[in-house]
Amino acid sequence: MKNFAKNFVKRKEFGIILIVVILSVILTFLSSAFLTVTNIMDFMKSNSVYGIMAFGMLPVLISAGIDLSVSATIALSAVVIGKFMLAFPNSNPVIVILVAMIVGAVVGVVNGLIITKFNIPPIVTTLGVMTIVNGAVLLGTGGAWISGLPQWWVSFGSFKLFGIIPTQLFMLIFAGLVTWLILKFTLVGRGIYAVGGSQSSAVRVGYNVNRILIFIYAFCGMMAGLGAAAHISIVGQVDPNTYTGYELDVISTVVLGGASVMGGTGTVFGTTLGVILMAVLKNGLILARIPNYWQKVVMGLVIIIAVSVDVINRKREQAKLVRVDVEE
Amino acid sequence: MNFFKNLRSKHSNELTLAIIFIGIFVLMSILSPDKFLSGNNIKTMMFQMPEFGLMAIAMMIAVLTGGINLSITTGAALSSIVCAFILSSEFSQNNNALGIVLGLIACMAVAVICGVINGYVVAYIGVAAMLVTLGSKTLFEGLGLAFTKGGSISGFPEAYSFLGNGSVLGIPFPIILYIVVIIVSYLLIERSAWGTEVYMVGCNEIATRFSGINTKKTLLKVYIYSGVMSGLASILISSRYNSAKTDYGSSYMMQAVTAVVLGGTSISGGHGTVAGTVLAVAIVQVISTGLNILGVNRYIINIITGGILIVVLALRYITKVMEDNRKIKERAAATAK
Repeated sequence: MKNFAKNFVKRKEFGIILIVVILSVILTFLSSAFLTVTNIMDFMKSNSVYGIMAFGMLPVLISAGIDLSVSATIALSAVVIGKFMLAFPNSNPVIVILVAMIVGAVVGVVNGLIITKFNIPPIVTTLGVMTIVNGAVLLGTGGAWISGLPQWWVSFGSFKLFGIIPTQLFMLIFAGLVTWLILKFTLVGRGIYAVGGSQSSAVRVGYNVNRILIFIYAFCGMMAGLGAAAHISIVGQVDPNTYTGYELDVISTVVLGGASVMGGTGTVFGTTLGVILMAVLKNGLILARIPNYWQKVVMGLVIIIAVSVDVINRKREQAKLVRVDVEE
Repeated sequence: MNFFKNLRSKHSNELTLAIIFIGIFVLMSILSPDKFLSGNNIKTMMFQMPEFGLMAIAMMIAVLTGGINLSITTGAALSSIVCAFILSSEFSQNNNALGIVLGLIACMAVAVICGVINGYVVAYIGVAAMLVTLGSKTLFEGLGLAFTKGGSISGFPEAYSFLGNGSVLGIPFPIILYIVVIIVSYLLIERSAWGTEVYMVGCNEIATRFSGINTKKTLLKVYIYSGVMSGLASILISSRYNSAKTDYGSSYMMQAVTAVVLGGTSISGGHGTVAGTVLAVAIVQVISTGLNILGVNRYIINIITGGILIVVLALRYITKVMEDNRKIKERAAATAK
């Protein structure tokens, strides 16, 4: 038990838990509204979209890649399901969500194919795809909103289990669970960590790296699609312009959760904590009555400090290892 | 003859880009001779291209070291906002010249500070550039928003608008500044000791450190240079708009990455030339202005830009594979003999 506690304290996630707990304690003192079930459910609901997309982004970052196109993918999925619902008003939420995920996955497969077949770095590929998809979305809609979604969709979005747990939280849990299962129990999951650790070693071990990469980007796109469904179910209309800049927020969330952009590391547990940290932080800034304008300053500082502390800790750890080597 | 051979082997990428640029320029001129080739349009492009070009150079130097600088546009906006506070103050209204000089100094000072923040965390703490600049992008944007309360600042002395709109002997001032910056950047990046270090860090940072170079200092200077370039761009932008706001120029960030990569700079660092970036900037500018004149929808122009990025890189990969195959065959034939 002592050993377990010791290991747990050493783990990367411990730092994030500590920050979340300290923040929560401060916020509870600052505002009595913070530690209520309604408030927690509310801010988790409004952050579920980032969370769902973060779970999609996690495998990408583990594989040492990056996907900048998620903001365009979510916009495309949102527009497609918006039009889909207007065209088929007698459909149902399950079909709509499936459509959104399929659209996202298609964009992801395109990303994966370009990355693997033409050997173009992920950051450049997804930047190009983002520009193209974004252009296509705005061309198709003219930037206009889509509203007047069917009633069953609106009630699906505002449904709460036992009057407490919102639909979007289930989507978030679903996304986290699927990602966890893939990373923990499947061959592909192992492959993702292997590719992130060293791509050439993964090839030698016998992984089909190209197939794994295509899967990763398809999965990321699919989660962006699910994110679109979650977002549309919250706001009840489609604004194709609202998603610009989402990619950076999503990446920040995953990185705050302890994943490295160098690849090889990152866990679903960490990302979950990253999502919770982001949500608590945003909610806390509002409850603490900090003017809207200063929120970005705090966010930026948190990101810089979090990634710096992480690197400093790792360096210290490595220095310790070196010393052990020398002493022995 | 030797000169051309040298040009082809050493600068094949720049040569291809130059041919593409001339091709597109000629194509646009044929498609719309009266509008595209008009003196007015050429002048407009000369006013618009420099700020984009400066941002691209700011991005390029970070990419050369294997990093990236996502904070160029928000850092630029922050420096122009600080500059705008001084320009619109009562002091500057009374002392135009001194006010503008102070404003410009403040602008560059903020740009340098932004660069130092990025550079310090990247070089001395050792965090991946992507993450640092992701954070500082949000930080600078937040500071800009907090200072301006989300609005724009205007009311500059009239003389300030010269920097973005004026001409010297008929040549737009921004293009003069741009050309000076190109020459200075060329000398610093491709002809100085520091520049060589920049390329070395981009190829292999650890090997560079072990060969006795203070890579931390090199990297810090890289991000300061990047900050200074975006600061210069911010002066042109605020002068052209005659105001300062956080989201002015924000679209240049992704465009700058596009131009840098299109210009042949390797995103993993170590390779790339100033000339390539400058040519790529010119290509993107001519395409967007030209298509705009032809009445093509702005969104289609975006789609085309993204498409060009992927197609050019795909072609580059395919030609490389073909070249490699040819070499292997030649060698095989040679050994068979």
